[in-house]
Order: sequence, then structure tokens, then C-alpha cells
Amino acid sequence: MSKTVTLTIDGKQVTVPEGTLIVDAAKKIGVDIPVFCYHPKMQPVGMCRMCLVEVGRPVVDRATGQVVKNEDGTPQIRFAPNLMTACTTPVSEGMVVLTESEKAHDGHRAIIEFLLTSHPLDCPICDKGGECPLQELTMRHGPPQGRFPYEDKIHFEKHFPLGELIYLDRERCILCGRCIRYQAEIVGEPVIGFYQRGRATEIVTYSDPGFDSYFSGNTTDICPVGALTTADFRFGARAWELKAEASICAQCPVGCNIVFNTRREAKSGGRVVIKRVMPRQNEEVNELWICDKGRFVHHYTHSAERLSRPLMRKGETLQPVSWEDALRTAAEKFEAAGKEVLVLASGRLSNEDLFNLKALADGLGGRAVLYGDMGGGDLTTLVGVGQGTNLATLGAGDAILVIASDLQEEAPIWWLRVKQAAERGATLIVANPRATKLDTYASFVIRYANGDEVQTVLNLAKKTDKIGQAFAEAENAVVFFGSEGLGLEGSQRLAVACAHLLRETGHVGKPNNGLIGVWQRANDQGAWELGFEPVADLQAAFEQAGAVYIVGADPFGDGRLTLDGVKERPFLVVQEILPTPTTEVADLVLPAQAYAEREGTYVSGERRVQRFYAALPPYGEARPDFAITAAIGKRLGLDLEDGSAEKVFERLAVTQPAFENLTYARLAEVREQWPIVGRGDLYYGGTAYENRRGLGVQLVPAAQREEPVTLPEVQGEAGPRPEEDEWLGVPVTRLLDRGTTVLLSTLLHRRIGEPFVVVHPMAAERLSLAEGQKARLTVNGASAEVTVRVDETVSAGVVLVPRSMGLPLYEPMKVSLKAL
Amino acid sequence: MPVLEPLIELGRGLWTTFRSMFERPVTYQYPEQKRPVRPRYRGRHVLKRYENGLERCIGCALCAAACPADAIFVEASENTDEERYSPGERYASTYEINYLRCIFCGFCEDACPTEAIVLEDDYELSFTDRRSAIYPKEMLLEPVGPEAEPTPQRTPPGLYTRAVPEMEDPKD
Amino acid sequence: MSLAEKYPQEVERILAKYPPEHKRSAVMPLLYLAQREEGYITKAAMQDVAQLLEMTETEVAAIIGFYTLYHDKKEGKYRMQVCTDLPCALRGADQFLEELCENLGIQVGETTADGLITLEEVKCLAACDKAPMFQLQSGEGIEYYENMTVDKTMELIEALRKAGKEVE
Repeated sequence: MSKTVTLTIDGKQVTVPEGTLIVDAAKKIGVDIPVFCYHPKMQPVGMCRMCLVEVGRPVVDRATGQVVKNEDGTPQIRFAPNLMTACTTPVSEGMVVLTESEKAHDGHRAIIEFLLTSHPLDCPICDKGGECPLQELTMRHGPPQGRFPYEDKIHFEKHFPLGELIYLDRERCILCGRCIRYQAEIVGEPVIGFYQRGRATEIVTYSDPGFDSYFSGNTTDICPVGALTTADFRFGARAWELKAEASICAQCPVGCNIVFNTRREAKSGGRVVIKRVMPRQNEEVNELWICDKGRFVHHYTHSAERLSRPLMRKGETLQPVSWEDALRTAAEKFEAAGKEVLVLASGRLSNEDLFNLKALADGLGGRAVLYGDMGGGDLTTLVGVGQGTNLATLGAGDAILVIASDLQEEAPIWWLRVKQAAERGATLIVANPRATKLDTYASFVIRYANGDEVQTVLNLAKKTDKIGQAFAEAENAVVFFGSEGLGLEGSQRLAVACAHLLRETGHVGKPNNGLIGVWQRANDQGAWELGFEPVADLQAAFEQAGAVYIVGADPFGDGRLTLDGVKERPFLVVQEILPTPTTEVADLVLPAQAYAEREGTYVSGERRVQRFYAALPPYGEARPDFAITAAIGKRLGLDLEDGSAEKVFERLAVTQPAFENLTYARLAEVREQWPIVGRGDLYYGGTAYENRRGLGVQLVPAAQREEPVTLPEVQGEAGPRPEEDEWLGVPVTRLLDRGTTVLLSTLLHRRIGEPFVVVHPMAAERLSLAEGQKARLTVNGASAEVTVRVDETVSAGVVLVPRSMGLPLYEPMKVSLKAL
Repeated sequence: MPVLEPLIELGRGLWTTFRSMFERPVTYQYPEQKRPVRPRYRGRHVLKRYENGLERCIGCALCAAACPADAIFVEASENTDEERYSPGERYASTYEINYLRCIFCGFCEDACPTEAIVLEDDYELSFTDRRSAIYPKEMLLEPVGPEAEPTPQRTPPGLYTRAVPEMEDPKD
Repeated sequence: MSLAEKYPQEVERILAKYPPEHKRSAVMPLLYLAQREEGYITKAAMQDVAQLLEMTETEVAAIIGFYTLYHDKKEGKYRMQVCTDLPCALRGADQFLEELCENLGIQVGETTADGLITLEEVKCLAACDKAPMFQLQSGEGIEYYENMTVDKTMELIEALRKAGKEVE
């Protein structure tokens, strides 16, 4: 029990933990002290002077140390002669704070008047108008008229690009420093800074590309004026014209809570489109932040390329057909194929879609295969993190192991949370075959050679060195395992080894302990939960099938499947939202709704089930994935639910033990969170949205349910290693890749860059290649032109090949690299 | 005589009628003659321009926000020097008023910060279907003056660097 | 060549003054070092310093921007910093500066076409009784020129121009 302090704010008594700042204490009882530079997630600096309040403390007799009392027994209060800033003053026992006295009002009015002396009259065109703290606080605290002559307002550069994603308007900037402090304190990448001083101070960025940080979009949320705005949303709509609907970001397994802001747009022919993505507060998942990928890749939902009608192959081309014909054909073909039906689904789909697909596959006696190259989902079901896990509570005495994952590229918000945990004192062990951005915060960095992943984990389990000991002795330990340099088999074996490590050190079955998979797609965890598993030889599975039902995956575009040399090709039904190389070769194409057009649930990597809601009307004749599957199933005589996503979830909850007792209502429950953000509170925490649509519920792993947990045996052999005179290509993940969503974005795609590979400088020399030079990479018969990059921390003999760049490498395999 | 009295009353009434035949008629022979519109009459909206031909509208959508009937739809875009519509950063790329919703209250005119949208004298609005009741920007823009260029204009860089044109208090 | 390669001993000496976990404190003396050659800190030098001290370029740039004695743009070989504070102004420094501008053909803050002189206006240089005056700042150091007139200044500039040509 930490010490508490009782004080009086505006006549109301409040008891808060020691060390709380006055402005936070006031927030707890609903007193909104105006702030600009203060942000509840950052250290206070007292730069703007807006939170001025009158502070009085009890008079203490110096001789006796006793509080001096008035005649009526109340303590004598001496007020400070000047106003004090509430954001930098911690509370003390018996303090009296007046926030609405005449002096305080004068102070607030004066500060607003000063801030407005040079603030340009941009409100009509400023993107922040309508959700602007300066506007709100001026209405509440400011003077009705300014006394500063309009012609003397100082003029600076407007519309200055800080990189291509963020615009800075230097005239509007009130120099609160929130953006700079956010980048320096919270993200740890100080790529923006103050330049010059006094009235000429301005924000600059010297990184290349400008404002080079995956979290740059968050600064536009916390900027209290319209100085920092996103280029993506520039002039998109006024803030009050937007409708907000809660959803979950589907770009990575973190499952950040977001809000889609939509509006009917004339530019797209009168359709309702997503105008921007904003964060929604969920302190257990993403706090108030989202990464730039989640923020800027919503444009695919209103691409003109979207599939809107079912298509059937007649002759050489795909012709539009009615839903009736399409569903009937699909059902006929599946019935004919019977047990030889292959259902290939990916983690892009929601739990409801996957549940119906599995039911369809089971009903026919066919196979349900997860499209992906990462294994270990069966382990996370057994020893995943316990219910009640919150990375924000990890600190000194806890341990985090991140192995085979470049966390900032694969799950940026997890990187942020792990970094913050390390800064709070958690022992962070980063094990990777090359340097990553998490190394700076790690207590221990293990650099293993490609192929030694499992051995590294086994060494930790032996507790022979201080790293292993630190992990074993930690009170709580979480292991993040990824697929850096690994394919299906490698990641599966790694997951098994990590699970054993956790069990042996007693870090299973409780909150903040367990295994987290850094999956490649948003709902891979959900897919594993519902019985989907990847297979090693996808091509063989494809060729053996009589009919293949591919949903939400593009194996032909990724080079995982090919029709070359296939004598008897199966009947191919593809359910997608956009045309892809896979739909090009399909026999039947079914248009599905994007997840923003319907509701459903995803399971995040931390095994949290979260609901997303429909923000857009359906596109064309597209239907939700689960409804299409159910319609086919019904025609096959199977009892599949097609009514609503909620009804499907009800069935799911009954049949899957992990989802026991979960309902949509439970998933929609919210609790009060700290800091209190909400659009009515004068934007204390920025313009992130309050969470009123659900915090989600974490699934309970088998270990926590006290079931017996049988782990597969550890297979300790090393993975593929580079041979003498050979090059071993290994897959790595980049955040900005040539996946559909990023390619169709309007700005972010410029940062994808050309396909590239990374090699050690010595390897580059041996191949007579230099940094930036073009080369030809050949893998599995397919070859592509790539740019060469050099990294000294990469193992010699290894070539890093990023996934989703058009190069068909999905597990460590031999490659050849030649200069052009 | 009692027979004459009703006749006299009738005569009085008929005299009034006869006299009114020679009174000056107040009828306006519309549409050949039109009654002049009073000052401050609120008729159809016009999007005004500056003297150099640039539009006054900066696409701020305050008129849409003020409209009690939700009759105005605005979408904004960015000006470039090659294609400039207004002397600022922003202009209205889509501007539509639905005349079946508009109640001609003039709140939009009050709200406009650049005196771009004004209600002028045109009351001759009729349409035969709902779609043609929505007047797009082309139907609302004031025609260009004789010495001015139509928009979009090509302007020299560095001339229009302010975000919003200078705004003055309304003159009347 | 990077900074560490050009001046290895100086860099060593500077870094040795600060504890290794706080080596970013060496940024200011290193920036002085970087400025020595060209009179301003080139982008490459900024990157060098940033890499040496494991800071971002922006952080280094912020320090350069804050202090007026760090320059990040190429300016004249000599910075002519004229004091126009009150006592100097009372002795005619304002007119002096104006005439100087006319004679040199530049405004305050600009550099002459031959890249010799950058004219700057600064605050009190503590030579109030000898105004109008200015200081010349260059790679060779700082020198005061007191009790100056426009003619004397133009002569000095000529002399500097000739001296520069001889050295070349």
C-alpha cells in the first residue's frame, strides 16, 4: 500500500497516492484544469503555464513541527503569492487548491491571450478545428477579444512537410514540446527537435526520410493545436462531419483498438469511405497509440478495384454471375470432392469466418489449413500468457525474452510496450541473429547464428550463465517468439523449446507469464484456437485436393503455389476482397466484405478476444465471409449459422472450451481507464477516442485452467545453416511491405522502397557487390532484381530476404545472389 | 320609396366596383415585369469571388455546420500554384446546396468567414425531380467579372502564401 | 574522411573528459571542432558527431540551432558583427551599419557576392566608448575593430580581400 495524501481541490476532498500531480488529482474528481504542454503519459515540464492554480499549504510551526490551527480548529492555510503550475506540483497533505478563483481565471485568460497573439486565424481551414484543445480552452478560459494588433502577428512557414506523412504549420505551433517529448521519452527516437530559440523556435527533423519513426502519427493526436497534421487526412473533412465507429487494427497481431472515422464522399461517387484511423484507448493493449501502418493503410477499403460481384470462369475469362449460381456451383463442386476438399484460410479472417470454415471442412471430412509459415499456435493455446496480462505492469523483477523477432518491424506497439517495461526495470533479453532496434534497451543481447534458435533457448533453460539465471529468477516472465529467419518447422520447434523453458522456470499459468507468438497476421492466434494449422508442403496439399476453397489468402501471388506442372488442377474457389493473382487463376471468385463493413472478433497475439464493428456499408454485392461459407454449407446439408456474426460467436463459444462464457456483450464491456481521455474533457490526453465499445477479454490458457499440459518433445537439432560456398536465404519481416494494404495506401507506399536483401559486408565483398547496388536473387527457380544492403550484424553466409516483397522465400533455403 | 333603397345600396357597391376599374393596378405582369427585390432579400445562394477572379470560398464548411436544415455539402482540397481556386491553402472542390432542404434563413451567410456565400436575388428556382434540386458549385459560382480570369488560375509562386486570405469585418 | 579520422587525438581528448555513459555531453566541444575547417558545420560533420556520440542527427541539429556561435550554413570567410545596442547607436552605429550595407550591396544577415564578408547585427560587445565598432570573427579567431568609419571599414575589407588572394 503506497502512501496516500488527502487534499482539497475547489472545496472537494480527494485522496490520491503520494507523488500525484495536482492536475491528475483534480482530474480524478472531475475538475478539468486546463493544460497544453502536460500529457498524462509524459513527464511534466511546465512550459506552457496554462495550468496555473492557486495553491495553499497548511502553515507549520517551525519550532514544534505542528500544523498551526485557526480559531475554529481548521488548519491555517497560506497561499503561495503567485500562481503555481498544477502539472509540476505534486500534492501534499492538507493542500488547498483553487482552480476557479479570480486569480486563477486571470492567469488562464492571460495565457490564452498570449498564445493567441501570434496564433494565425486558421480555424476555418485547420484540420484540428472542432477537436482543438486551443479552441476549447479559449472558449472556456480565454478573453473575448485580444488586444494584440492583427497586422503584427509574426509569420512563419506554413505547410512544412516533416517527412511525407506529417505536415507542420510553424505559425500554429505553440511550442508546447509535446511532440518532441513524445518522440524522446516514449518512443526513444528523437527525430524531431527544437531549432533556434525564443520567438524563432521551430520544430525540425533531420532524419532521412524526414520524421523517420513508425509512431509519427501519434504526435498529431497529442498536438494541442493544428500544427502537426497528417498529410493523409489533410482537408479530408471537418472533425464534426465524421462518424466514428470502433474497430480493431488488422495489420499485426497486437490488435490495437482503433476508431474508423467515415464520411460520405463525393470524390468516390457518393460512397461512405473511411477518412482516417484514430486510436481508441485500451490501456491493456495499445494505451493511446497506434503505429503509422495502422493509421495510414485504410485506403484499400474503397479502392475501385474491389470485387463487388461473384465471378465464374467461363472459357478463358471470369464472368459476373449471380450469387445463386455461384453458391450452387461451389456447393456442387465441394460435394463432388467430398473428403478431398481443402480449405485454405489465413489469419486475416475473423473468428466467426474461421469457425464456419472449419465447420464446413469438418462437415465434408476435408482439410482445414492455415495459410502461413509460422508454427507454435498449439503451444500458445497451452502456455500462452495468462488472463489478466498487461505488459504495462511488467517492471523491475520481471523478465521478457524476445527471440527470433524484430519487434519494431513486426509489432510496433509491442516493441513500445516492451521497451517501456525494460525502462521500468524489467530484464529484457533480446535474442536475434542480427541487430534490431530493441537491443539498446536490452539487459542482455544474445546474437546466435541462424539455425541455433532452439539451442539458445535450451541454454537459457540450463541456467548456466547469468542470463538464464535472471530469466529463471524473475517473478514474471513473458517470451515473445517470432519467425525471423525461420519457416514453419523452425518456428514450431522454437515455440516448443520456449514453452519448455517457461514451464521449467515456473512461468506459466498466471497473468504476465507465458508465451506470445509474434504472428504474421492479425488473427493467426484465433485461427490456431479454432483448429487451423499450417502444412509444410502446401503445393502437395493443393494438388491432392479435388476442390480448394481459398479464403483471404493469396498463395499464387506470394509464390507459395503454382499451377506449373499440375496435371489435374482442383476446382478453385477464391473468396477475397480485391483481385489478386490467386483470383486470376480461380474458377469461382466470391466477393467478401472488408472487415470494416461488418462486425466480428479477432484474437490478438496476447490471446485477447476483441470486437470490431461495422463502420462502412457493404461494398457492391459483397457478403461477409461467414455468411458465404454458411450459405455454401447449407446447400451441402450442413447446419452452419449465417444469421449474424454474434450468432456464429455464440456457437463458437459453446464448442470451443477456451471461449467458454464469452459473449458479445461481455466483449463490449468497458471500465474506466486512466488517463481519462474523452472528447468532452478538453483533450487532456490528446484526441484519441474514449473506449466505449469494449476492452476485450483474454482467453485463459490451459495452464491457467489447471488442466494437465502435455508439451511436445523438444527437437534440439540445429536448423539449416549456411554451407561452405553457399548462400542461405532466410525470411525476415518488414513493417512496410508489398502487401495489399500498404501498396494501396496513398502515402505510406512511398516508404516501402524497392525489393532488397541484406548481407554481411564481407559477403558483399565476396560477391563484388556494394551497398545500394542492384543484384539478381534466385530462389527456388524464381528470380528477381533486388537492391543490396549491408549490415555488419548479419551472419556471414546468410542473405536476409524480406517477406512480402515478391520473393518466394518462406523458410531458410539456398539462394544465389549475383551482381547484374 | 322602399323599392329604391336596395337599389341605392346596390348602386353604391357597384360604384365602388366601377371606380376601381379606373384605379391604377398594382399587379406586376410577371414574368414580363418583375417586382424589384428589396435589399437584404434572401434568394438563391451565390459563391462570390474576389476582383481578380479567385473564389472567396475556402472550403471551411462553416456554412454547412451552421445550416439548420443540413442542406449544404462541402468537400475541400488543396490549392497549388498551377491550379489555384482561392487565395489560400484550401478551396471547396465540392460544394452542393440541396434546395429542397434549404429554408433560406441566411445562417450560412452569417457563418461564412470570407463573405463567400451570400444569398442574392434569384428566387426563380424550380425543379422537376429531387436530383436537379441539388445545385453543385458550378451553378452557384458567381460569373467572372470582365477584368478577371476564371478559376482555376495559374498564379506565380510566392504570391499566395497565407493560409487564409485576409478577412475583414462585414461592411453592412 | 570522418571527424574521428581527421582529428583522432583531439576527439579522444574531448571524449575522455566525460564519463562514457554520458558521452553525449561531448557534443558541444566536438561541434566546435567540426566547425573549425569551414567555419560552419557541414551535414557530414553533423552525422559524424551524431554517430560518434550515438545521438540522432536531429538532436545534434537542435544544439546547433540553439547557440548562435554554431553555424550550419556556409557563410562568409569573415563575420562582421556590428554592435547596434543603445550606447553604440547613440554614437551613430545605426547609420554606420546602413551605409555599410549600401556599400557592400547586401542586407544584414547576407553574405557578399565574393563570399568574403557576412554582415551581422549583434548586441553589446562592451566597447561602448569606441563606437561605432564591430568584431570580425573567422577561423583565425575574433578581433575587435573600434572607432571605425565606413571608409576605414571598406579599406579593411579591401586589405582582407587582397590578403586572401595572396594566400591562395
